[in-house]
Amino acid sequence: MSAILAEPKLRLEGVTKEFPAPRTGVRTMAVSDFSLEISAGDFICIVGPSGCGKSTVMNMIAGLDKPSSGRIAIDGVPVTGPGADRGVMFQDYALFPWLTVRENIGFGLRNGTPGRGLSSKDLEDRIDRHVELVRLNGSENKYPHQVSGGMRQRIALARLLANGPDVLLMDEPLGALDAQTRLVLQEELLRIWGETEIREKRKTAVFITHDIAEAVFLADSVVVMSSHPGRIRRVLPIDLPRPRNEQIRADPRFAELHEEIWSLIRDEAYRATV
Amino acid sequence: MSVTIDRPMVTSSGQALLRALALPVALLVVWQLWALTLPVDTRAPSPASTAEAFVRMSATGDLPLALLQSIGRVLSGFAIGLVLGTVLGTAMGTSPAFRRNIEPIVESFRPLAPMAILPIAILWFGTGTPAALSLVGYAAFFPMLLSTAQGVSRVDRKLVQAARTMGVSRLRIAAKVIFPAALPSMVLGARLSMGVAWTAIIAAELAVGAKSGGGASGGIGEMMFVFYSYSIDMNGIVVCMIVVGVVALLIDRLFRLAEHHLIPWRH
Repeated sequence: MSAILAEPKLRLEGVTKEFPAPRTGVRTMAVSDFSLEISAGDFICIVGPSGCGKSTVMNMIAGLDKPSSGRIAIDGVPVTGPGADRGVMFQDYALFPWLTVRENIGFGLRNGTPGRGLSSKDLEDRIDRHVELVRLNGSENKYPHQVSGGMRQRIALARLLANGPDVLLMDEPLGALDAQTRLVLQEELLRIWGETEIREKRKTAVFITHDIAEAVFLADSVVVMSSHPGRIRRVLPIDLPRPRNEQIRADPRFAELHEEIWSLIRDEAYRATV
Repeated sequence: MSVTIDRPMVTSSGQALLRALALPVALLVVWQLWALTLPVDTRAPSPASTAEAFVRMSATGDLPLALLQSIGRVLSGFAIGLVLGTVLGTAMGTSPAFRRNIEPIVESFRPLAPMAILPIAILWFGTGTPAALSLVGYAAFFPMLLSTAQGVSRVDRKLVQAARTMGVSRLRIAAKVIFPAALPSMVLGARLSMGVAWTAIIAAELAVGAKSGGGASGGIGEMMFVFYSYSIDMNGIVVCMIVVGVVALLIDRLFRLAEHHLIPWRH
């Protein structure tokens, strides 16, 4: 019994990923010996320089990419392919341009496994709730190209949450937004994740970013990666109290953590620019 | 509020119509004036004599009948090309291996004008409707094939991945992601196909009319051939030309309208 309780939500064990170059066939190591355990209800941020394999790690957890070696398990069950238990929010949102805002949010419920067994009324109610959750009422019948970048991001978030996944996988979801919108949405994201709820009610989140302040603000722990090959440099617990708001950014501990992470990736970041 | 916005739109579409008509009307006037300067016994058509021929040909029912015959063949041939092009194009767009195998064959036939397969079509199918259909189908096939293949192969991989992470089955991904994503390309292909189909039918009927000595094939093209080689009626030929052009224009406009309904997110 205790062994089952001890099983983490998500476990990566010695995961590596090699890509063969298209012409030469020379194998490049994108991710090397990546081991990590994430408990249910944890919010994990992965930071690191561009090209360190952050997105590859996420794709492997999502089941869209297979590891070259090592294993990935959810609740102790090995990942063999994509599934609605792990929702993904892509960097460019991957919204369906031919569907309206509302149809995009309801896509998984109508076409995938998450909507199975729901009556059409329950289904509509669930879509309604998620339209409201991200405050998109009034824009429901617009197409994605007719709304702002911030709204597109919220459509993607609502679509992710409407499917009710246990694990949220987010690949730089706020990257394309202006600084102000970004700060607002960071707080909104924490609210939606369940920051004010008890731990058992929170989702498990893996959030990729290159913004250190964002990672410190959001995460329970920050995974710092280095590149060539992509591997874990350090896992830092973020011991800031929750719920977090704007004031926490002025906390001396916030600055300390920020500096600690920055010092870990500074050298590589400089090397990448010169 | 909507009234004040609607009003200028109506006026501007009225103005647009006037502007669109200005050039054709001016050309007609110049044509008529030029025809008036010619000797009376010349065969040169004028707008007035052409209009007269149009009324006469419509009244006897010859023109509507020929037009219906041609349009019927275009639609059936187009349907054949559309179905074959969509099926094979989808296969080409989905499977790189299939594409590699079929592309050399497609590319070596594509430059072969529909008229160039006419001899074989006549030998196989005679001078009637089957020959015309095979020709139109052949012409319509290529644009549809290539546009579909391109549309399907260029579907954003991220969209397919997104659907997979929502537990959507492969069959449903084909119907709900790949098809709508490729639809703009396919509609464009269909429009191009229809254009070449209409060109091909006129050419086919002209040529089949020539081979059989007239009377056997029917359609607008054959009608033109009869005016050319038997009655030497320039007015009739011009009427046919104008009708062919107007029908082509209407078909194109219909496609644009369909595009508006099929691809609403693009507007």
